Amino acid sequence: MLSVDKVVKTYETVRAVDGLSFEARPGEIFGLIGPNGAGKSTTIRMIMNVIAPDEGTIRFDGKAFSEAMKERIGYLPEERGLNRKVKVIDTLVYLGVLKGLDPADARRRAESWLERFELSDWKGEKVEALSKGMAQKVQFIGSVVHDPDLVLFDEPFSGLDPVSQDTLLDAVLELKAAGKTVLFSTHVMEQAERLCDRILLVRKGRELVSGPLAGLKSSYGSNSVQIEFDGDGSFIAGLPCVDGVRTMPRWIEASLADGHGSDELFSALSGKVRVRRFQLMEPSLHALFVSLVESSADAGSGDADEEAAHA
Amino acid sequence: MRKLPAIIRYEFKLMAANKAFVILTILGPFLILAITVLPGLLSMNPKALSGGEPIAIAASSGAGAQGEAAALYAAFESAMSSQGRGVEPLPLDDEAIADAKRRVGSGKLAALVVMPAGWADSGATLYTKTGTDAMLYGTVERVVDAFARESRIARSGVDPDLARSLVRSVDLSIVKLSAGDREEAGGEGAFVQTLFTAMSFVMLVYMTTLLYGQMIGRSVVTEKTSKTVEIMLSSVSPRELMFGKILGLGLAGLLQYGVWVSLALVLSKLLMPLLGMAAPSAIAPGNLAWLVVFFVLAFFLYASLYAALGAAAEDEQHLGQLAWPVLVFLIVPLVMISSFVSNPDSPLSVGLSLFPMTSPIVMLIRVLIATPPAWQLTTCIGVLVVSVYGAAAAAAKIFRVGILMGGKRASFGEMVKWLRVR
Repeated sequence: MLSVDKVVKTYETVRAVDGLSFEARPGEIFGLIGPNGAGKSTTIRMIMNVIAPDEGTIRFDGKAFSEAMKERIGYLPEERGLNRKVKVIDTLVYLGVLKGLDPADARRRAESWLERFELSDWKGEKVEALSKGMAQKVQFIGSVVHDPDLVLFDEPFSGLDPVSQDTLLDAVLELKAAGKTVLFSTHVMEQAERLCDRILLVRKGRELVSGPLAGLKSSYGSNSVQIEFDGDGSFIAGLPCVDGVRTMPRWIEASLADGHGSDELFSALSGKVRVRRFQLMEPSLHALFVSLVESSADAGSGDADEEAAHA
Repeated sequence: MRKLPAIIRYEFKLMAANKAFVILTILGPFLILAITVLPGLLSMNPKALSGGEPIAIAASSGAGAQGEAAALYAAFESAMSSQGRGVEPLPLDDEAIADAKRRVGSGKLAALVVMPAGWADSGATLYTKTGTDAMLYGTVERVVDAFARESRIARSGVDPDLARSLVRSVDLSIVKLSAGDREEAGGEGAFVQTLFTAMSFVMLVYMTTLLYGQMIGRSVVTEKTSKTVEIMLSSVSPRELMFGKILGLGLAGLLQYGVWVSLALVLSKLLMPLLGMAAPSAIAPGNLAWLVVFFVLAFFLYASLYAALGAAAEDEQHLGQLAWPVLVFLIVPLVMISSFVSNPDSPLSVGLSLFPMTSPIVMLIRVLIATPPAWQLTTCIGVLVVSVYGAAAAAAKIFRVGILMGGKRASFGEMVKWLRVR
C-alpha cells in the first residue's frame, strides 16, 4: 500500500503540490486526475523520489523510500525518454537488469511482453526507428518487465491510437487483477472513468475531491433516468417518484424525486410499457469536475473578498 | 553498487558502437604514424619546413679579393641547401634592391641580404618579412661571420692556418644523464625528437581527455533534459549511475589507447626497421606505459569534472559556459610546454606536475624529458587518484541535487551549496 500524507512541493514561487494526501491499495487502480499543471506529475515524481517533497511523508507498506524499494516499483514517466540509438530488446533487458533481474530472465520477459504488444518484429530495431506510440508501448513494458508490486503510470495513454489504448488498458487491468497497486495520472476524464476504482481530483496542487469513483458520482450526481420504451408513457410524469420529465424524440429523461430510487420507478413501469432501455444517468466525471471547479472558484473568490476586507 | 557492472557494460557498449569512436580508433594509428615518421620526413625534405623560397644576396663585387663574390654565393648556396632554399645573386644597385624588397614583402623571396662595400667592418643587412625565422637568421649569420673572418685573416697577412687554428670553435657534445647513471647520446636531433614525441603525446592526452570529457558532460546533460534520468533513477542510485557512466566511457577510452599503443609498438619494432628508419627513442614501451597511465588519470579526473558540470547545467549551451574554467586548466600546460621541456625540474614544472588539474600533462612531459624523483611521481599519482574519487562523488551529489532542485539554473556558488546538502 502506498500512502501519501500532506505532501507539499514549491517551485520558486509556485506551490505545485499543496498538501495532497491519499492512499493507493493493492488490487486497486487509483487515479490522480486533473488538468495540465495540477501537480500530478510532481506528486508522482515525489513518490518516485526523483524530487524531494518540501513537507509531508510518502510511505510504501509503512516504510520510507529506500534504494532497495526501487526494484518493487515500476515507473512510466510523463516525458518519455529512451536512448534512441539502442535496440529495443537491449533497452528492455537493461531496464530489467537495473531492476534486479538477471539478463536471461529479463530477455525472456521482455520478449513475451513485446509479443503481447505485437512488437516482436521490432525487437532488433533501434528505438529511433519506432513510432511515438510504439516507443511508448516499449517504455510501458520497461516499467512492468520486472513484475513490480507498485506501478506508477504518468499519462500512460497519451498519444496512443484506440487499439493500442485497449491493449494497454487490458494490461493495466491485469496488473490490478494480480493484486498490484496501480496509480495512474491523467487529464483525460474518460480514461479515468473506464479504469479507476478510486480517484483524487486535483486542481492547482490541491484536492478537489477524493474517494471511490462510484460513490463520488452518485453523491454529486443529478439523479435522472433515460427510458426508451414502446407504448403510452404519459403516466410517467404523474408518478410520485418522478420530479419532472423531458421528452426526447426517441426516449424520455425522468428526474427522480428526492428520496426515491430508480428501482421504484422501474417497478412502476412494469406491465404498463415495454421497456427497451432503462439507464440511470450518472454525471460524467468531466461534468463532475467542471461543477466542482466552478464551485471551488466561487469559494476561492469569496476567500479573496474576505482577505481584501481584512486588508 | 550492485548494478554498477551492468551500467558500465551498457555505457561501454554505447560508446564503442558510436561511429565517431570507431573512426577515431581507426584513424588514431595514422595520427601516431604521422607523429613518428613526420620528424624524419621533415629532416629529409627541408622544403616542407621552410617553404623553400630562395634568398637574394646583393653583395659588393669589390668587397675583397678576386672571386670573392662567387665564393660568397657558393657558401650561401651550400648553407641554404639544408633548408631547401636556393640563392639568387643580385647586382648591388638601388633598383634591384627595391625590387627584391618588394618580393620579400610579397613572400616570393624568403629574405634579402644586402652587403655593401666594406660590409665586413661596417655591417650587412638582412631583410625578412617576419623577422622571426631564427633558423634563417642563424644560417645567414654563420655564413657572413665565417666569410668576414676569412677575409680579415687574408687581409691581415697572418698565416691563414695559424689564424684558423686560433679561432677554431670547441666541439661540445651533449649527453643526457638520468638518475640511474644511464647515459644517452643527446644532441640537437635527439632533443627535437624528444620534443616532438612529448608534444604528440601531450596533444593525444589533451585531445582525448577533452573529447571524452565533453562527451560525458553532454551525455549527462542530455539524460537530464530528456528525462531518461527519471527512469534511471527509478532503478539505481545517482552514484551508481555516475560512476557507471564514467567507468564505462573510461573503459572505452582504454580500449582505444590499447589499440593505438599496440599499433605504435608494432610500427616501431617491426615496420620502421623494415623501412630502414630508426624508431624514435621516446616511443619506448616505458614511455608508452606512462602515456597510458597519465591518460587514464587525466581522463577520469576530467570526465568526473565534466560530469559534475553536466549535472549542474541546464542545457548544452549552459554546459559550455560552465566548462571554461576547467578548460583553462587543460590548456595552460599546453601553452607552457616549451618551458616544461627546457626546465623539467624547475619549481614551476614541479608545482604544476603535482597540482591535480595540470599534473597529468605536466608530469607526462617531465617523465618523457627527464627522470623525476620517485616521490614526486607517487605524490602526483596519489593526488590524482584522490581527486578523481572526490570529483566523481561530487558529480553524483550535484547530479542528485540538481535533479531534485529541478529547473533552476545553477551558478558555481550554488553547486558548492549543493555539495553540502545532506
